[in-house]
Amino acid sequence: MNLDSLIHAEIDGEITPEQHAELENLLRSDWQARQRYLELVDQHARLLQQPTVNTGRLQKATPKRPTRRWLPALTAAAAVIACAFIFWPQHSSETEATSNGVAMLSQTMDAKFTRGSFRSGDTLKPGTIQLTQGLAQIEFFSGATALIEGSAEIEILSAWEARCLSGRVRVHVPPAAKGFLMHAPGMKLEDLGTEFALNVKDNTSAVHVFEGEVIAHTAAQTPASLKQGMSLSSANTIPASPQDFLSISELQGLVKQRDTQRFADWQQWSLTTCKDPRLIAYYTFKHLGDDRWDRLVKNFTEPRHPLRAGGAVGAAWTQGRWPEKNALEFKRPGDRVRLNLDGTYQALTFACWVKVDSIDKKYNSLLLTDGYDNGEPHWQIYEDGSLMFSVMYRPAEAAKNAKYNQMYYSKPVFTADSLGRWHHLAVTYDNTTGEVIQYFDGQPVGREISPLHQPGRPIVFGPCEIGNWGLPTQGHRFPIRNLNGAIDEFAIYSAALNPADILSIFQHGKPE
Amino acid sequence: MPDSPTSTEHLVLSLTQHQEPLFRYIFSLVPREADARDILQETSLALYRKFAEYDSTRPFLPWAYRFAYLQVQKHREKSARSPLLFSEDVMDLLASERTHIEPRLDERLRLLDTCLQKLTAQDQELVTSRYAMRQSAEEMMTRFALTRRTLFRNLELLRQRLHECVTHQLQSEGLA
Repeated sequence: MNLDSLIHAEIDGEITPEQHAELENLLRSDWQARQRYLELVDQHARLLQQPTVNTGRLQKATPKRPTRRWLPALTAAAAVIACAFIFWPQHSSETEATSNGVAMLSQTMDAKFTRGSFRSGDTLKPGTIQLTQGLAQIEFFSGATALIEGSAEIEILSAWEARCLSGRVRVHVPPAAKGFLMHAPGMKLEDLGTEFALNVKDNTSAVHVFEGEVIAHTAAQTPASLKQGMSLSSANTIPASPQDFLSISELQGLVKQRDTQRFADWQQWSLTTCKDPRLIAYYTFKHLGDDRWDRLVKNFTEPRHPLRAGGAVGAAWTQGRWPEKNALEFKRPGDRVRLNLDGTYQALTFACWVKVDSIDKKYNSLLLTDGYDNGEPHWQIYEDGSLMFSVMYRPAEAAKNAKYNQMYYSKPVFTADSLGRWHHLAVTYDNTTGEVIQYFDGQPVGREISPLHQPGRPIVFGPCEIGNWGLPTQGHRFPIRNLNGAIDEFAIYSAALNPADILSIFQHGKPE
Repeated sequence: MPDSPTSTEHLVLSLTQHQEPLFRYIFSLVPREADARDILQETSLALYRKFAEYDSTRPFLPWAYRFAYLQVQKHREKSARSPLLFSEDVMDLLASERTHIEPRLDERLRLLDTCLQKLTAQDQELVTSRYAMRQSAEEMMTRFALTRRTLFRNLELLRQRLHECVTHQLQSEGLA
């Protein structure tokens, strides 16, 4: 082995005692060898300390730490201080997530943008937003809110400052955001805690104050103070009367209408879907008023399979994709929905609507069988935000500790931007081809065949659960894998649905 | 022992700020992560005990390196039978020469970040898996469907590429 290979073997812990002696001799005798060694080892140490490579995965180091022998030697008070600084630096070496966002697109209604596709919930960075149609509500991190009507062009400068280049915008500034600045052709509006509207057309501006006070800086020597009911135009060509501007309650009314419509459409689709003969179970998480125990998660497949109904444990009822839609929320380590699914299958599809609030565990459960015996599938979200599907097949002669589960990872899909919103997840598995396809919002995000695959091995479920893993046996500790989020629809099929089917499920169920 | 909160705060700040260089120093002498982290903790504790003796008008790191070196020697004595530790004479050479080239090593690390961004998606995945997620060799073998030999060969090539990239950058900046 040459010097470099010896160094790499050394830092990977793959070196033999003989090779180590060889490396030591090289280092002892040659400065250039030492220099090379110091550079490569330093590079490795840096990578161990703070991997800054941007792959969209969590940059969280979880080194295995041996137990500390010295702790008992310390006095209690010193131990507290010592822990505080000895364990702290480990965290400080992690790269803290950052964002250069200054505002949030809080709501949209039939909105179309010329550049980029924005969705409600997106964080907005400084830059220009061109809305060609529809409505968009922007909440600046300072607390100011702007309601924009298409078509309009708005430049976000910071959390405290924006410019209206054209179009109509209505701004609300709570006391905390006092001083928020809105630029417009021919004027600069300094908000003293109020609500006003601005209309910009052909490079002229008109402003109308609904409430509070606005200081308008114009070409005039002294800034004008505009109070409730007052208007000001940079030219007489455009009016600024209150009825020209949409109010926030009108937007809310439109959003409500849309939600009701989407929910009705989904219900219609759902009534057809539940008759799909490929369904093993179909949970729509309807909170049943007549269930006195409040824990039934009904299986809606037709013909009926009441024995495949689920039982909620811990998980609380909450709002789903729309105000009228129910969901179950999983928060605490015990929260889960218990299922028992009979039968043996050749293929499967899992499809669910989930709002993940946080990926805070190594494994975050979607659906897992209780144990992990042959033919049992597990579906989870891995700590890096990727979808992780696996099926266990252990040959009879296998060594006890050897791993025989076929594992499939998608690319990471849960990032800061996709948390806290409703997304559609799906996975299909066929036990002949061995192909696993994972989907996020109707699009494939992973397609793989495990090298361990052998055709024809059956798939089974038995006792299993949604949102968590495993019943603890008496006296045993259990790993904490509960989902942190909510689920409002879960379908389990006995076939591998094709990409068009999955896309259609997404299209019919997407929230807006 | 420090007796006022300010001196403790001062130490906490110094340690936090110099955590990375201290780890790198220790790791150059004991290139095994778990051991190096142990030694780093022992060093932190030793620094805590002796912090009253620290002259705050002088740079912190050279002072801290002395403690780190002593802890490395302690570790060596404890595990004297391990065939995978460097002899004292080699460690001495490495420790003293390292302080000489430390500014250059720092310069290299600055450029390393740029080089990491230039990696292919495949290499980035490897970096993430090995360094950010700390996956074991076995997990990585399963994940990338590689034999142990190929996996470590790939890691070696990856780090070689990074090293070359940094050297190249240094040259183009006229610093090499």
